[in-house]
Amino acid sequence: MIELQGVSKTYPDGTVGLNNINLTIDSGEFVVIVGLSGAGKSTLLRSMNRLIDITEGDILVNGASITKAKGQSLYDIRRNIGMIFQNFNLVRRSSVLRNVLSGRVGYHSTLRMIFGLFPKADKQLALEALKRVHIEDKAYNRADQLSGGQQQRVSIARALAQEAEIILADEPVASLDPVTTTHVMDDLKRINQDLGITMVVNLHSIELARTYATRIIGLDAGEVVFDGSPQDATDDVFAHIYQRRQMTEERVQSAT
Amino acid sequence: MTKQRLYVYSRRLLIIAAVVLIYVWAILGLPVIEIKETSMEVMGSIFSGLLQPDLDYIYDPAGEDLLRGLLDTLAIAFLGTVIAGFLCIPFSFMASSNIVKTRAIVGTNKFILSFIRVFPDIVLALLFIKAVGPGAFAGVLALGIGAVGMLGKLISESIEGVDLSAREALIATGGNPIKTFMFAIVPEVLPNFFSFIMYRLEVNVRAATVLGVIGAGGIGTPLIFALSVRDWERVGIILLGIIVMVTVIDIISGKIRARLT
Repeated sequence: MIELQGVSKTYPDGTVGLNNINLTIDSGEFVVIVGLSGAGKSTLLRSMNRLIDITEGDILVNGASITKAKGQSLYDIRRNIGMIFQNFNLVRRSSVLRNVLSGRVGYHSTLRMIFGLFPKADKQLALEALKRVHIEDKAYNRADQLSGGQQQRVSIARALAQEAEIILADEPVASLDPVTTTHVMDDLKRINQDLGITMVVNLHSIELARTYATRIIGLDAGEVVFDGSPQDATDDVFAHIYQRRQMTEERVQSAT
Repeated sequence: MTKQRLYVYSRRLLIIAAVVLIYVWAILGLPVIEIKETSMEVMGSIFSGLLQPDLDYIYDPAGEDLLRGLLDTLAIAFLGTVIAGFLCIPFSFMASSNIVKTRAIVGTNKFILSFIRVFPDIVLALLFIKAVGPGAFAGVLALGIGAVGMLGKLISESIEGVDLSAREALIATGGNPIKTFMFAIVPEVLPNFFSFIMYRLEVNVRAATVLGVIGAGGIGTPLIFALSVRDWERVGIILLGIIVMVTVIDIISGKIRARLT
């Protein structure tokens, strides 16, 4: 469970990323956050595992404040949150298996990790994670030899090997073709249903959001402008929301 | 239109005139080239020495011979490279702007690396001979310190060019900075690191052959002795030995580097 209480983020240059966000995401939900570029989707997601520090408010993950956590307790909270990125963020020169294993670093001592010694059970876990996304045959290939869709699956396997209860996905399909997009989104949906892992996914396509989400959150200019079921997220509603945005922009332009 | 053209032509003429003047001035400043009467004779002797090398010198169980000299040279180059390889690690990371965010630290380290590069290997060797006495140790120190400048610069530049997006992923999995460094940064940097080390080994083998001339150990010492007593057969065999050694090292190192990247 993730609770956001009055979360605001103002960047040093004065740009408002998030403005007083209050949200509760329950365990097992498949939440899709939609919004135009610059609406604050990425900022919202990255504040949940504190890749970005928020300026106001508090974020609780399973009851523990990640905003106030320091050192080991911060690493422990993060270990429970997997993350998938738009550009996969794999170690390109390392093997697929090693990339998946890197999801396990939070479980072992620093000394052990300096020498890269993973227990056998971890290797088994990594191979199972690769099997779940159907690329176990690529385990010993170098990560940069894989196609974009395959690389994204490796990064999903990495999040799975992490045995996290929550997975955050920041535009996971933005750099993939339509067919691969379906595969990757299907994988995420299956993981959500079979393993009960909470999914929080950023997308800019409302159609995709409606197909996969159990709950849609619409974001605009750092504020929640929609929060409801996929059935309620009709084109009319979103056309209205985005129109409002256009009107504001025009107002700003005519004012300057 | 015509005015503009006139301007362009006159500017071109001025530039040509200036260049011609600089050349004339430079050539006039040259000392008169004197060719020593003996020079042709010496050249001939070196060539005949190369053709009739002193084969007995290759291996001499009693003491100083070619193989031992070459081995010394290789050892100096190798040890110098290993020392430089370790020394350059902290500098190259701290001089990379994508690893260290504090500009002052990056700038200071870049400056230190440039400062070390200022000294040619020979100058460093002369300094170390004064410090630790003549011999192979001075040569090792000279190459070990001298190579840090070049290696540090090359490696830090390659670190700055490497894709470090995986770092964010490792932080997100709950890795502390050391784990993140080991998993996201080291694998990306390592091949380039070893490639530059091998390249520097090639350079150091060449440099080590010269170091002996000023007394810093290696094959250069017997070479300068042989030259001063006009033992051309011995000069010949030493030159041949150096050529073979440098070529072999270049080939081996080239093969290894091709496999690394």
